[in-house]
Amino acid sequence: MSNKNAIQLDAVSKSFDGFKALSEASFTARWGEVHALLGENGAGKSSLMNIAAGLYAPETGSLFIDDNLVRLKGPLDASTQGIGMVHQHFKLVKPFSVAENILLGLRNDQALSFRQRLQQTAEEIKTTAARLGFTIDPFARVDQLSVAEQQRVEILKVLLAGARILILDEPTAVLTDAEAENLLTTVQNFAHQEGAAVILVTHKMNDVMRYADEVTVMRTGRTVASLKPQSVTVGELVKLTVGDAPTPPQVPASRAAGEVKLEVSELCSTNPNAPILRGVNLSLHAGEIYGIAGVGGNGQSELAGALMGLPEPVSGSMQLVGEGDLRDLSASRRRELGIACIPADRYSAALAAPLSISDNFAMGEIHSGRYGPFWFLRRRRIEADTAAAVSEFDVQGVRSLQQKAALLSGGNAQKLVIAREFSRQPQLVIVHSPSRGLDVRATLAVHQRLRSARDAGAAVLLISEDLDEVMALADRIGVMSAGRIIGEFAQPADRQAIGQAMVNHV
Amino acid sequence: MSLIASWIGNIPDFAVPFALAALGLIIIERSGVLALGAEGLMLVGAMSGIGASLMTDGSTVAALIMAMIAAAVVSQLFALMVLIMRINQVIAGLALVFFCQGLTGLCGTLMNWTSRPVSGLSDLSLWPLSELPVLGKLFIQDPVVYLTPIIFLLVVLVLNRTVLGLRLRAVGENPQAADAAGIPVLAYRCAAIAAGSALIGLAGAYISVLSTKMWLADMVGGRGWIAVALVIFARWSPWKALAGAVLFGCIEALIPQMAASGIRLPQYFVFMTPYAVTLGVMIWVAVASRDNSSQPGALGEPFIREERR
Amino acid sequence: MFDATNFQPLLARRYTLEVRQQMAWYWQALVIALALLVGLLISAAILVVAGVPAGELLNEFVILTLFDAQSLRAVLFQAAPLIMVGLAGCVAFRARFWNLGLEGQMIWGAIGATAISLFEIGPPSMRLPLMLLSAVVCGLIWALAPVLLKLHLKVNEIISTLMLNYIALNFLLHLVYGDWKDPRDNFPYSPQYRVFERLPDVFDGLSLAIVLATLVAFLVLWFTNVSRAGLYLRFVDNSPGVARAVGVPVNRVILGTVLLSGALAGLAGFMITAGQEGRLTHSFYVGYGFSGILIAFLARNQPIAATVVALLVATLFVAGRSLQVFYQIPFSMVQLIQAILVICVASSEFFIRHRIRRIQGGQS
Repeated sequence: MSNKNAIQLDAVSKSFDGFKALSEASFTARWGEVHALLGENGAGKSSLMNIAAGLYAPETGSLFIDDNLVRLKGPLDASTQGIGMVHQHFKLVKPFSVAENILLGLRNDQALSFRQRLQQTAEEIKTTAARLGFTIDPFARVDQLSVAEQQRVEILKVLLAGARILILDEPTAVLTDAEAENLLTTVQNFAHQEGAAVILVTHKMNDVMRYADEVTVMRTGRTVASLKPQSVTVGELVKLTVGDAPTPPQVPASRAAGEVKLEVSELCSTNPNAPILRGVNLSLHAGEIYGIAGVGGNGQSELAGALMGLPEPVSGSMQLVGEGDLRDLSASRRRELGIACIPADRYSAALAAPLSISDNFAMGEIHSGRYGPFWFLRRRRIEADTAAAVSEFDVQGVRSLQQKAALLSGGNAQKLVIAREFSRQPQLVIVHSPSRGLDVRATLAVHQRLRSARDAGAAVLLISEDLDEVMALADRIGVMSAGRIIGEFAQPADRQAIGQAMVNHV
Repeated sequence: MSLIASWIGNIPDFAVPFALAALGLIIIERSGVLALGAEGLMLVGAMSGIGASLMTDGSTVAALIMAMIAAAVVSQLFALMVLIMRINQVIAGLALVFFCQGLTGLCGTLMNWTSRPVSGLSDLSLWPLSELPVLGKLFIQDPVVYLTPIIFLLVVLVLNRTVLGLRLRAVGENPQAADAAGIPVLAYRCAAIAAGSALIGLAGAYISVLSTKMWLADMVGGRGWIAVALVIFARWSPWKALAGAVLFGCIEALIPQMAASGIRLPQYFVFMTPYAVTLGVMIWVAVASRDNSSQPGALGEPFIREERR
Repeated sequence: MFDATNFQPLLARRYTLEVRQQMAWYWQALVIALALLVGLLISAAILVVAGVPAGELLNEFVILTLFDAQSLRAVLFQAAPLIMVGLAGCVAFRARFWNLGLEGQMIWGAIGATAISLFEIGPPSMRLPLMLLSAVVCGLIWALAPVLLKLHLKVNEIISTLMLNYIALNFLLHLVYGDWKDPRDNFPYSPQYRVFERLPDVFDGLSLAIVLATLVAFLVLWFTNVSRAGLYLRFVDNSPGVARAVGVPVNRVILGTVLLSGALAGLAGFMITAGQEGRLTHSFYVGYGFSGILIAFLARNQPIAATVVALLVATLFVAGRSLQVFYQIPFSMVQLIQAILVICVASSEFFIRHRIRRIQGGQS
C-alpha cells in the first residue's frame, strides 16, 4: 500500500441557521485504506462528508486531494476530482432504469445516439458489476429493485463516473447482516486490491472493528481522534464517541404482568400494491413492555400507524379489551381511555413545528372540554397546564410558551410529546423508535418515562429498529420480519438468537 | 350532413390552442415546476401576436414568433419567482395570471389594439385528402394545424430519446439526484419554463391571430385553465394531452354549429359546456385512477441544496 | 502542513443562503413595507408611461382619495365588499383550500338576494334580512361541491372552483339577458331593488354595509383566534398530517371553513347588489375574486389585517375609477397594480425566510 494522502479536510467549519454543525473538523484518508468516520447521530459526519463531496460549501477550512489544495464548486467538481458519495438516502431517479440513472451522471462527448450510449453504459455496468462480484440487470427500473440492489446501483454510478475516493454514508443502516457483510467485503476489496480510498460513515462499532483500517471519531461537530481500530477496544471507542455520558443500563427491571390489554390478530395491509403487513398477531399485557425488534422496513411503521389511529389501510382486528377495536375509537375516546402514542417522526405525526408549544400541548386535552367549549378556548388554563408539564417533564430550551415547537431540539421535542401524551395516567402506550435522533441523556430520560409508565400498570408496546433499545427496555421481545411476528423471546433473551431471527427469516 | 362536415372542419381550430398550451405545460411540469400560469401567458401571446401583426402590416409569421418570444420573456418573471425567490408555486402561478390579465388589458387599450382585425393565414389544402367526403375539411386548414402534430412528435422525441430529455425528466423526478449527477437543476427548469411558455404563447396567438383574427381583453376565457386540467387528465403524457385537446376541440366546435343548426338551446347554457365538461373530466379522472405514479416526482417542490432542517 | 487561511485570494469570498427560523416582527414589517413601496413605485412608473402626469398622480391617489370627505366615503363604501372577499380568502387559505371561486360564490350570493327581491318573498320589513340570508346560503352552496370533491376525490380545487366561476357567470348572463332583465330598458340588468331592499345609510352617508363588514370581521376573528375551531384550523394550516394524528377532525374543519368562505363571498355579492348597484348587473363581480386573494395574501390570512388591506385596495379601486374617467386608463390597471404588489411582497418573503451571508474564505 502506497499510503499517500488521498483526501484531506483541514479545520472545516459549517453552521446552519446559527447551529454549528462543524467546528474546525479535520480528516485525512489515505489511498488503499478503508477509513471509518465514526460518531453518533448529529455528530457532523454527514455534514463533513457533504463538504468533501461538494454539496455544501464550508465557511472556513480547506480541502486537499492528493495533497493539492482544491476548491469544489459543486458535486460535479467533486466528481471530476474523483470523489464519489453514496448518500444514506439514495439519489436515484425512481422511474428510470439502472442504465438511465447511471448515464445521467456520465460525461462523454462521443458522437453516439442516445440508444447507443444507453447500450454502451449497460455494457460498462455489467463489466464493473462483475469486477466487484455481483450481477445486476441494467434495464430494470430502479423502483423495482430491493434496497440492497439500489445501493449497488449507487456504487456503480459513482465508480463509472470515475470515482477513486468512495464515500459511503451509513451504508449498512438499511441492510440485513448478510447484505451488509457482502457490501463491506466488496468495498474492502476495492480499497485493498485496487488502491482506492473508501470512507465509511457509520455509527456501528462492529463495522468499524471488522472492516476499517483507520477510524476517525467525531463528536458534536469536532473530530476528536484518529486511530487504528485494532489498537483499541470497543469500550474505548464507545467512550470516544459518546464522551463522558453515562452508559445505558442493560436489563429492565421485571415485574409480574397483568391481564391482557390489547389483542392484535391477523393484521394485514389491504393495499394490494403494498402488502406490507401479512398477519400480525400479538397480545399485550398491562404492566409490561412488549418490544418489537426487526430490520427497518419490515412493517414496523405500518403497524405503528395502524395502532396509532393513522389512516393505514388494514384488515384484521386490534381489540382493546373491553372497549372494542382501536379503529372504532374516536380521538376523544382514545384520550379518555389513556391511549398514548409516541410516533417515530415527531414533526410529521406529533408536533406541528410552526405552532407554539402551548398550542401543541393543548391538543392533549382539547377534546375533553377542559380547555373550554367549542366556541371558546380557555387560553390561561392551557398556558398553566403547559407550564406545569414543561417543568415536570424537564423540557428544556423553552424561552416562552408561545415559541415555535420547531425551535426545540430533538430530545426536548420528544419530551414535549411525552408530556402531552402522558398528561393523563396512560393505560396503553404505543411507541415507535422513541430515541431516534436523541442524545444519550435524552434517551435515558425517555426510557425512564416508559419504565415508570409500565410500573404504574400501563401496557407499553415498543416498536424500535434499534435492537439495543429493545433489549434495554422490553420484558418480552417479538421479532418482526416480512410483515409478521416470527418469534417471541422472554427476557433475559439471547441477543445472538434475536439477531439471527431478524435476518434469517424471509 | 354539411353541418357535420363543417363541424369536423372546425375542430382543429379549437383543438390547436388546447393542444399547444397543454404541451407547453407538460414541458414545464416535467421539469418539476407546477405551472398554473397558462391562462396569463396565453393572453400575452394573444395580445402580442395581434400587436406584432398590426405593427408589421400583417406579417403573420412574425406575429406568431413575436407571441412566442413575448410569452417566454414574461415567463421569466415566473421563473424568477419560483426558482430564485422560491415563492410557493401556486401563488406565483396565480400572480402571473393576474399580472398578465392586467398587463394585456392595459396594453391592449393603451395601444388601441382592441377589436382591430388582422389578416391571419390562408388555409392550405392537402390534396387529395381534402377531397374526402365529410372528413375533407379536416385537410383544409392553416399551416399551424399541420405543424402541431409535428411539434408534438419533436417534443416527445426530445423528452424520451435524448440525453437532454433524460436530464429534464430527472430534474422533475428527483432534483437532488440530478444535482448530484452534476445537472444544473435551476438552469434546466428555467429553460423548460421559457420553452414551454413559448408554446403556450403560440397557443394564445393562435386564438387571436388565426381564429378570431382580433384582440379582445380576456379573450382566452379560461382555456388556459382547461389546459391545466387537460395535463392532469393526460397524466403528463403528450399524446394523451393531444387526444384530450381534440376532445375539447370537438365540444367547442359544436357551439357555433348548434346556433347555425337552429337548435333552440339557451345560449349561455351552451357556453357553459366546456367548463362543465372540464369539471366532469376532473371528477372522472379522480374516480378512475387514483394513482399518482405518472406525476413528476418533484412537481411543485422548490429545489434547495444548501439548506437543512 | 501549511496554513491555508493565510493564502486567501480575494475572489474566494462567496455568499451563501441560509434558512432563518425566526425574524423579529418589526424587521418583517419593515421588509414588507419596503416591498410595498417598491411595488407602488413600479406601478407609478407604469402610470407615468401610460400618460398620467407624475404630479397628478400624487394628487389623485393621496390627496383626493384620503383627504376629501366625499372620496373617503366612497372608499369606505367600496371597502365593505372587499373586506368580505378578503375574509373569505383568509379563512379558505387557512384551511389550505385555494378558493379561486370567490367570484362564482359572489355571483350566486347576488342571484340569491335578487331572487328574494324579484319574487317579493316575505314582508317588506323582513326583506333585507331575508335577502342577506339567501345570499349567504347561495354562496355557501356554490362552495359545497368543490370542497366535497376535494375531500372525497382529491379533485384539484383550483380548477374546480375556477370552472364553477365560468358556469356561474354564464348563468348570471342567462338571467340578466333573459328572464330577469329589467323590462323598462334594454340593458343587461335586473329591475331596480325597492328602497327597503337596499342597504341604508346609518348616518351621514356611512353605509350599513361597512358597519356590517366590520362586525363580520370581528366574528371571523373570533372564529380564527378564540374558538377551538381556530386552534384546529392552525393545525390543518401548518401541518395537516400532524393534525390528523393528534385527533383534529380535519375533514370537518376544512368543510366548515370552506363553507364559511363561500358564505362570506355570497355576502360580498349581496353588499354590492344591495349596497352599491341596487340591482343585479352583468359585471358587478369584476376584479373582486382576485382582490380577495390578494387581500388574504397580503394580510397573511389575519382577519384584522385583511380589513386594513381591504381599505387600501378600496382606495386603489376608487382612484382607479377616477383615472379611468380622467385619463382613459383602463380598469385593468388596478389589477396590474395589485399583481405587482403581490409579486413584490411574495418576493420579500425570501428575505424574511433566508439570510444571505458572506463566507469568509470559502474553500481555498
